[in-house]
Amino acid sequence: MRTARVSVVGLAASALILTGCSSGGGGGDEGVSKDDAAKQQVKYEFGDEQASTGPAEEVKGAKKGGVLTVYQRDSFAHLDPAQMYVSDEGSMSTLIHRRLTTYKRDNSGKYTVVGDLAKDSGQSSNGDRTWKYELKDGVKWEDGSPITSKDIRHTFERQFAPFVSEGPVFIQQWLAGKSGTGYRKMLPDGPYKGKHLPDKVLETPNDKTIVFHFKSPQPDLPYALGMAGYAAVQEKGDTKEKYDKKPVASGPYKVASFKSGKSMKLVRNDNWDPKTDAVRHAYPDSHDIQFGVSYEASTKRLSSDSAENKTAVSYSNQVDASSMQEVRSNPDVKKRSLAGYQPYVGKISFNMDRLKDKKVREAIAYALPAKSLMQAFGGSGGGELGGSYLSPTVAGHTGADPYGKAKKPLGDVKKAKKILKESGKSGMKLTFAFQNSPEWQEFSIAAKDNLSKAGFDVQLKDIVSDTYYDQIGKTKNKYDMYHSSWGADWPSASTVIPPTLDGRQVQDGASNYSHYNNPQMNKEMDRISKITDADAAAKEWGKLADSILKEDLPDIPLMYYKQIQLHGSKVGGVVLNDVISGIDPTQLYVKK
Amino acid sequence: MTSPSQAAIAGSETPDPDGVGLTTEPVGQEGSSDQQVGRSPGQLMWIRFKRDRAGVISAFVVIAMFAVAALAPVISSLYGKDPWTRYGQLREGLLNDNGYPIKANGGIDSEHWFGLEPGLGRDVFMQLVYGMRTSLSLAVVIAILSVLLAIVIGVAGGYLGGKTDYFLGRLTDLMMSFPSQLFFVAFVPVIGALAVDPQDEMPTWLRASVLIFVMWLLGWMTLARLLRGQVLTLREREFVEAAKVAGTPPWRIVRKELLPNVVTPILVQSTYMLPNFVTAVAGLSFLGVGMPASTPDWGRMFATGAEVYQSDITYMIFPGVAMVIFIVAFNLLGDSVRDAFDPKSGR
Repeated sequence: MRTARVSVVGLAASALILTGCSSGGGGGDEGVSKDDAAKQQVKYEFGDEQASTGPAEEVKGAKKGGVLTVYQRDSFAHLDPAQMYVSDEGSMSTLIHRRLTTYKRDNSGKYTVVGDLAKDSGQSSNGDRTWKYELKDGVKWEDGSPITSKDIRHTFERQFAPFVSEGPVFIQQWLAGKSGTGYRKMLPDGPYKGKHLPDKVLETPNDKTIVFHFKSPQPDLPYALGMAGYAAVQEKGDTKEKYDKKPVASGPYKVASFKSGKSMKLVRNDNWDPKTDAVRHAYPDSHDIQFGVSYEASTKRLSSDSAENKTAVSYSNQVDASSMQEVRSNPDVKKRSLAGYQPYVGKISFNMDRLKDKKVREAIAYALPAKSLMQAFGGSGGGELGGSYLSPTVAGHTGADPYGKAKKPLGDVKKAKKILKESGKSGMKLTFAFQNSPEWQEFSIAAKDNLSKAGFDVQLKDIVSDTYYDQIGKTKNKYDMYHSSWGADWPSASTVIPPTLDGRQVQDGASNYSHYNNPQMNKEMDRISKITDADAAAKEWGKLADSILKEDLPDIPLMYYKQIQLHGSKVGGVVLNDVISGIDPTQLYVKK
Repeated sequence: MTSPSQAAIAGSETPDPDGVGLTTEPVGQEGSSDQQVGRSPGQLMWIRFKRDRAGVISAFVVIAMFAVAALAPVISSLYGKDPWTRYGQLREGLLNDNGYPIKANGGIDSEHWFGLEPGLGRDVFMQLVYGMRTSLSLAVVIAILSVLLAIVIGVAGGYLGGKTDYFLGRLTDLMMSFPSQLFFVAFVPVIGALAVDPQDEMPTWLRASVLIFVMWLLGWMTLARLLRGQVLTLREREFVEAAKVAGTPPWRIVRKELLPNVVTPILVQSTYMLPNFVTAVAGLSFLGVGMPASTPDWGRMFATGAEVYQSDITYMIFPGVAMVIFIVAFNLLGDSVRDAFDPKSGR
């Protein structure tokens, strides 16, 4: 590999001298390699009290002061923790909101789940049915009042209020012991009309202690509590819907101004005590966030590294696919870039109500060119060929590739043709719906090419990006196959397999886009979710994922998404954090 | 205004189907150095045109471009490539890891003369040739339809006058006020939803027909107005009056007396219209509402070029230069055709 690469580069260089016009692309480079994946393949440990004690490990060479400019594509739709489920809001929320637990990344890149407001990552008893948390001393709101267990109780109770509709629902469902939206009946108005959750569900014996009682074992609770959606909300300062624009901060920064769609300014929160926080730093004096900066624009600004762009960064803007070549071939820009995995697995879902013959699905699976998809997303900087449901960043990832998506990245048209012939359905009409974006347009051309050669009558159906997921989310949709992607909420397959493959979840808008329903596998999912040993569970999930893929093939995974992010030359402490799948805002500092 | 004696022609360019229609009156001195030989206006025009070097060169360029477009399959078989195969993805060593050509200048080499398309790795030369074929054939069909409709509406309005003229005039104004690009962007999905089963792709022919239909619907007005004006003045001329007095039926007057006299504006306008349609069709493809993605298309090449220009400027050059040459040549040709027909006008 290495020698081949050198010769290719040499060739390009000589061609450059000869023509002296536009330079060639040159050979490839690996970007993120499999090693990074293994490193990123996470089994986050649960940290004890010592690991959860502040202050956080110093970032080498970091200095206090300075103003950080931040470019973000989308304005934050929500500042109320309960409404946060989008990853870029999650990044920003680490700066202003604290949760019961959080994820600590040490300087060597190892992750631990530690206590954030709590003293440790939680103490379970009764077979993981009861979890006890004790709050740290000296944790305060931005107004200086202490954070108490009453605030935490309020945080969870208001999750049941009707106006909270966007956030995660895991813990509510666990507390109620019900799936779907059934949990809302438990506390229909939230805590606002004087009703509270009974002590047998959520208990606060004193000002410092919170106890969760679940009906079934919930070994993943410490992970779930670390989500942005479960960050603490002050009971006194809760303004219900209005909290979404002006939340009370508990983190190292508070909101000085927020103009939706335009800008946001975060300034230091003096009532945040670094000694209570094992994860966060607050080096810059303020974060000046600008919204509406497209991926292309932020890439251009940050790679130019001119004047104010020197101290600029973006929490979540990536390098756009068409700038990938520029970024990765220009050494000055490349050294200011970070590459990493995104949690998403890109797959083509088959509509099981329409493609009932497994042979047909197999033929499609063999024929699809995974490499074309990767190239549409900018090559190895934008994705990695993948053939299984669990991404390399999820515990339990096996690297299985039963349909040769990584081995034969261009698709195996011959084999597909043979299988389709065996099924006797050659020439059948196949409707492929895709999002009307340049990447998917490009892939659709390649996919149609391969599928037609394999003997399908392919009908491409492009759908407007805004409504794409609504369209394919209808259970009665008229398409045979469509792409979908899903990312784990925390690095456990329990947030991947059941949401996307549990047949009891099939309903309009649900994320089981293939309408896959195999009672035997459903039962298996129930069994594995009750395993309390995380390692054993991860292994079982991996096995289950592979056997679903091999035996039933409801979707064919093609690619694990990756990303490259840039930063200005005067920004230090830039590390990718897999939990928020982007640059970690709490470690950044401005170089003098 | 042009005097009918000068404007009246019939020529090799537009033979009248009946072979008649020449108002062959003696022609004055202008333009003909050789006074002994009598020449038809068509011949005179041809002599003047041949003297205009820019015009002749442009004519050659335009003809060459049409020839390339028409002969695309022949070129493809000689060249040994087609516009659909993803060479860069199927063969190793052409595209790098980021999907860009490894070789300099967009991957130009003896195999791929104009290089490779980043990403899908299709052959740029073939894309361009077939893309021109798509765009030019669309533009020609649209131009022919628009001219025909313009003649009908313009001549009818001008000749009949009165209420008909008023009605047709307002119709023209109404159509002119439509923003054609916006109209089209809004129109295609509607047609798609009405005419195509939701599980089916919109067929290429339907997409092309919709494109032609809308561009036609919104492309005839300028010429129609011009013709109405011309016919309005011609209608009062002695020879038309004479024909009327002699009891010639209106249809014959239109055919034999009026139409031959408006051939010049028709011809000149259509040489301006055609490149306009080419750019308009390209513009729609650029916006993503042109032909479907698997059909090679000139306009979409610009969209791709705009995406990849940072790392592969070469890709933009070929479709861009071809388009500029085509438009300039066609406009110059239009100018010289007008000059040749009518050396006095516009000077």
